[in-house]
Amino acid sequence: MSEISAIGGPAAAPRRPGITNIARRRRSERVLQGLGLGAILLAFAMLATLVGSLIITGYPAFTQTHLRIDFPVTEARVKSDKPEAGNYRALMQDAMVAALPDADPAAARKLAAMLSNSAQFALRDRVVADPALIGQVVTMTVPVADPYDQLAKGLVRRDTPEAERRLTDAEIAAFDRLAAEGRVSRPLNTALLSNADSRFPEIAGLKGALIGSFYALMTCFVISFPLAIGAAIYLEEFAPKNRLSDIIEININNLAAVPSVVFGLLALAVFLGWFGMPRSAPFVGGLTLALMTLPTIIIATRASLKAVPPSIREAAMGLGASRQQVVFGHVLPLAMPGILTGTIIGLAQALGETAPLLLIGMNAFITAAPATPFDSATALPTQIFIWADSPERGFVSRTSAAILVLLCFLMAMNALAIFLRSKFERKW
Amino acid sequence: MTGIAFLLLFLAALAGYLVNRQAARAIRAGGAPLHSLGLYHGGYAALMMLVPGLIFLLAWLALQGPVVDALVMAGLPEGTVSEAGGAGSAGALVLAEVRSIASGRIFGTPEAWKIEAAARMTALHGGARQLMLIGLAAILAGGFAFARSRVSAAFRARQGVERIILGLMIFCSLVAIFTTLGIVLSLVFESWRFFAMVPVHEFLFGLNWEPQIPIRADQIAGAGAFGWLPVILGTFVITVIALTVAVPVGLYAAIYLNEFASPRFRAVAKPVLEVLAGIPTVVYGFFAILTVAPALRSGASALGIAMSPNTALAAGGVMAIMLIPFISSFADDALSAVPRSLRDGSLALGSTRAETMMKVLFPAAIPGIVGGVLLAVSRAIGETMIVVMAAGLIARLTINPLDSVTTVTVQIVTLLIGDTSFDNPKTLAAFALGLMLFLVTLGINIVALGIVRKYREIYD
Amino acid sequence: MNVMTRAESSVASDVVKISARDVQVHYGTTQAIKDVDVDILDKTVTAFIGPSGCGKSTFLRCLNRMNDTIDICRVSGRIMLDGEDIYDRRIDPVQLRARVGMVFQKPNPFPKSIFDNVAYGPRIHGMTQSRAELDEVVESSLRRAALWDEVKDRLASPGTGLSGGQQQRLCIARAVATGPEVLLMDEPCSALDPIATAQVEELIDELRTNFSVVIVTHSMQQAARVSQRTAFFHLGELVEYGETGTIFTKPRDPRTESYITGRIG
Ligand SMILES: Nc1ncnc2c1ncn2[C@@H]1O[C@H](COP(=O)(O)OP(=O)(O)OP(=O)(O)O)[C@@H](O)[C@H]1O
Ligand SMILES: [Mg+2]
Repeated sequence: MSEISAIGGPAAAPRRPGITNIARRRRSERVLQGLGLGAILLAFAMLATLVGSLIITGYPAFTQTHLRIDFPVTEARVKSDKPEAGNYRALMQDAMVAALPDADPAAARKLAAMLSNSAQFALRDRVVADPALIGQVVTMTVPVADPYDQLAKGLVRRDTPEAERRLTDAEIAAFDRLAAEGRVSRPLNTALLSNADSRFPEIAGLKGALIGSFYALMTCFVISFPLAIGAAIYLEEFAPKNRLSDIIEININNLAAVPSVVFGLLALAVFLGWFGMPRSAPFVGGLTLALMTLPTIIIATRASLKAVPPSIREAAMGLGASRQQVVFGHVLPLAMPGILTGTIIGLAQALGETAPLLLIGMNAFITAAPATPFDSATALPTQIFIWADSPERGFVSRTSAAILVLLCFLMAMNALAIFLRSKFERKW
Repeated sequence: MTGIAFLLLFLAALAGYLVNRQAARAIRAGGAPLHSLGLYHGGYAALMMLVPGLIFLLAWLALQGPVVDALVMAGLPEGTVSEAGGAGSAGALVLAEVRSIASGRIFGTPEAWKIEAAARMTALHGGARQLMLIGLAAILAGGFAFARSRVSAAFRARQGVERIILGLMIFCSLVAIFTTLGIVLSLVFESWRFFAMVPVHEFLFGLNWEPQIPIRADQIAGAGAFGWLPVILGTFVITVIALTVAVPVGLYAAIYLNEFASPRFRAVAKPVLEVLAGIPTVVYGFFAILTVAPALRSGASALGIAMSPNTALAAGGVMAIMLIPFISSFADDALSAVPRSLRDGSLALGSTRAETMMKVLFPAAIPGIVGGVLLAVSRAIGETMIVVMAAGLIARLTINPLDSVTTVTVQIVTLLIGDTSFDNPKTLAAFALGLMLFLVTLGINIVALGIVRKYREIYD
Repeated sequence: MNVMTRAESSVASDVVKISARDVQVHYGTTQAIKDVDVDILDKTVTAFIGPSGCGKSTFLRCLNRMNDTIDICRVSGRIMLDGEDIYDRRIDPVQLRARVGMVFQKPNPFPKSIFDNVAYGPRIHGMTQSRAELDEVVESSLRRAALWDEVKDRLASPGTGLSGGQQQRLCIARAVATGPEVLLMDEPCSALDPIATAQVEELIDELRTNFSVVIVTHSMQQAARVSQRTAFFHLGELVEYGETGTIFTKPRDPRTESYITGRIG
């Protein structure tokens, strides 16, 4: 003992620590703090840039420039016995000539390109529905073609040299003249949600993609939800602790980390190749997404089952209920809010998945909304991919707008999940 | 027809449930003590009909198409399809044409034998549907008869029902295994066919990747170049760029959130990072081509540096944004799992919070953090949409981040978009790449999940 | 064992090391410590006793400002170390904690080697100039914690691999290595077996030659064995404070009496 006292004597102990270097240490603490804050602010700035640039490029697509124009529907162009076979293309040109009386008729005819290509079909539908219109002047408000839409929205700079513009000075002058007459309006672009895809940006919409995504998500839910709950209940409540359970468990965790494109390959080879399921069908897309979502929902379900305290199980068991009666009658209902939250989050992820859908052909160009889950269709994310790939300038802002629509859906789903969690969250 | 079959199935099961339950109740009303509640007798009947009926229907639907196709092809007149047995590309073409005629889409004037085949196909499908309904009805009747015959006071219906439900749940948990098996089998099978056309060593060690070269029918195995090294190198370049940015930013963010942020700041920052993590990657891809790539290009040209339009830097940079929240939330969890007593111990020795973090907490959390970073690596390698939209298509042997490179996932998608005849190396190459991608990411994931699991055990 | 031997050895010094006046501690809205006044002497072992939840740990953590690390904790009143208010704005808690070391209830060695655990404090405070000097500090600290002989051959192996008692002595060595003036110990023996407890108690008695030691304990015997002065806390109040022998033989307050005779707590 005396030895310890000798070494531990006053000579060794009182070394005044930290007096000299505390300033430096405090400085390096501030540096670390600054770096950390900087990292977070960088992430915030990225998010702000992303959302900001999407809103800036996307908001013009929520309105669409329209032109009120008078079509002189003459017997010469449309025969009253066969209104559906009329020359409506020529009627568009006639209308431009009539609208620009002091312009050279040949030049005015060319200006029919100002009207969206869809105008002739809208006019035809109206005349076919009411053949009495033949011989009268039909006034309609129709979308203008994309370059003019861009012009009206100020996205085409008038001061660039004519050769670098998509519109000539004469075309701009003609448009300005019609605008001065009060024929140009810019209402909300309802076509964005009510039309299906089109080659022409001014009439392209998301209806097909929205319905396709809806079908795919429904399929995904109907398949993955029961499978996931069954699997989770088995693994959490019934599975014996053996090799097989371990393998299933590891397998599920790994499946959650398999790249999504690999699921696309699986779907392509097995669903399309071996089972001969239809290409581009939302049902097949949903099936693929279900396999991807399965691990997510299983993991969430197991977590909420685990959170139900054993006392509840014991209480029910003590009353003579069988294990299944306990689980299905008592544990599962208590775990349901957590399961639903996990499911919604899983579905939100599935809604944004793109790569596997590309591989099963859900990036096809389809101008009609699917009637059933087995028809060819696109989905919201694949539609975004198609539009992002399109050369027409009008598709840039429509892509951004489509993304904003997608993000709205995702936000709504996440808000629902958060609401469910906070409303039904229990502290045991 | 299929809809009718499913409707029949569910209605019959419901009817079986009601009838059996009634029968059981009648026994009890007769004074005999039932072993199981009437509910379970009903449920037993419903399950006895539903389960076999569903299996039958799904199997029939999966097999009907291929069987009818085979029958139609076998019934074609001699000499119309050159290859033996109607396999191969010519056979597939004929089959596709017959199918589209059968569905009413007739292009031009097809030969008479094709129209005949189409008619036979329609007839076969119609017959098959009827057979399916008949078979289903027979199965339902059998199931019901069996269940009904077992209704008795002593029958342990509850045990029967519970056994079936347990079986169903075991099946549910095996779906994940089937999925993995399906992935492995399909990738291996299609890759096998690919390696029959392109030698394995050429694929593994070749320095050229030019799959888009048109391949003439008579020299399928000779044309094109399928060396995957430049493709995996490109993947590697983009992954490295993404992680060089994302790892430090993500870790510093986690350190700040875990140690320095006020609770209020944390309450705001965590959800914001979650939003960043929840954005679909197709959105990031569009962000790359809309904003990041042009900004980088104008920045580079201001510095007088030539930059290719699909630079690896833009793709990697945007991928980094996607990975930041992933890494930071993993690291935050790992840091939070370090017991508070270590933090207290360090602070009580007079270390600053920074020293506590960097010298005690962070080293203690390293295993968990490494697991998270490895998972991020596997995500970066497997990430598809960002690179499909922002990276290049041409495979180059370069590690210059300003150059354009391509990745494994980009090649898979571009090889398979539009064209899916399964008999040329161009399509099959995608499966070979997919197999490699699966193996690489699986290896990383297993290691990462193992580390994370072990780490959790230390502090639990 | 003769319970009274060390308590009878009386107070070695009457220099006041820490003096607390009018200390109040709140966790959010609940008050954990009320109006505590106490003088802790240098080169003396002071024991804090009292029923569970009475605020012993809370008060102990005030003495090295560990309560600063709990967001909802607020401390008021004055605590002077050598006549300096430790809650003064000019005092850096980091430096304060180097002077007032702490050992916790549960051994908490860092997941590092034994050597690095002990060298942690000297390193961050820049106390040593050379590796040889550091080696010397580590060795002397381990010796004073009576651990040297057990670990001298495996200084590079992880500190978490030691037994519970060894881990706690490692934590003491770690605290001693920074050369503190006061050592706070919060139930240092509660996770230890009787033999390890005896070792640590012996150690505490050795440490008294250099530091002022404050120890929280639930064991009346331990308080009597190792301390010269004892403070009895009850419901956040300091009920009685004085020489250990006096507290255990002639307590003035009835609450103290009922506690040490086992009627409350
Ligand atoms: N971090 C905290 N947050 C809120 N209240 C706390 C916290 N720590 C302690 N308290 C409360 O302060 C009071 C005193 O606690 P303290 O830990 O100081 O008691 P103790 O005397 O050390 O008890 P024990 O002998 O059980 O360790 C208790 O009522 C406790 O609930
Ligand atoms: Mg305590």
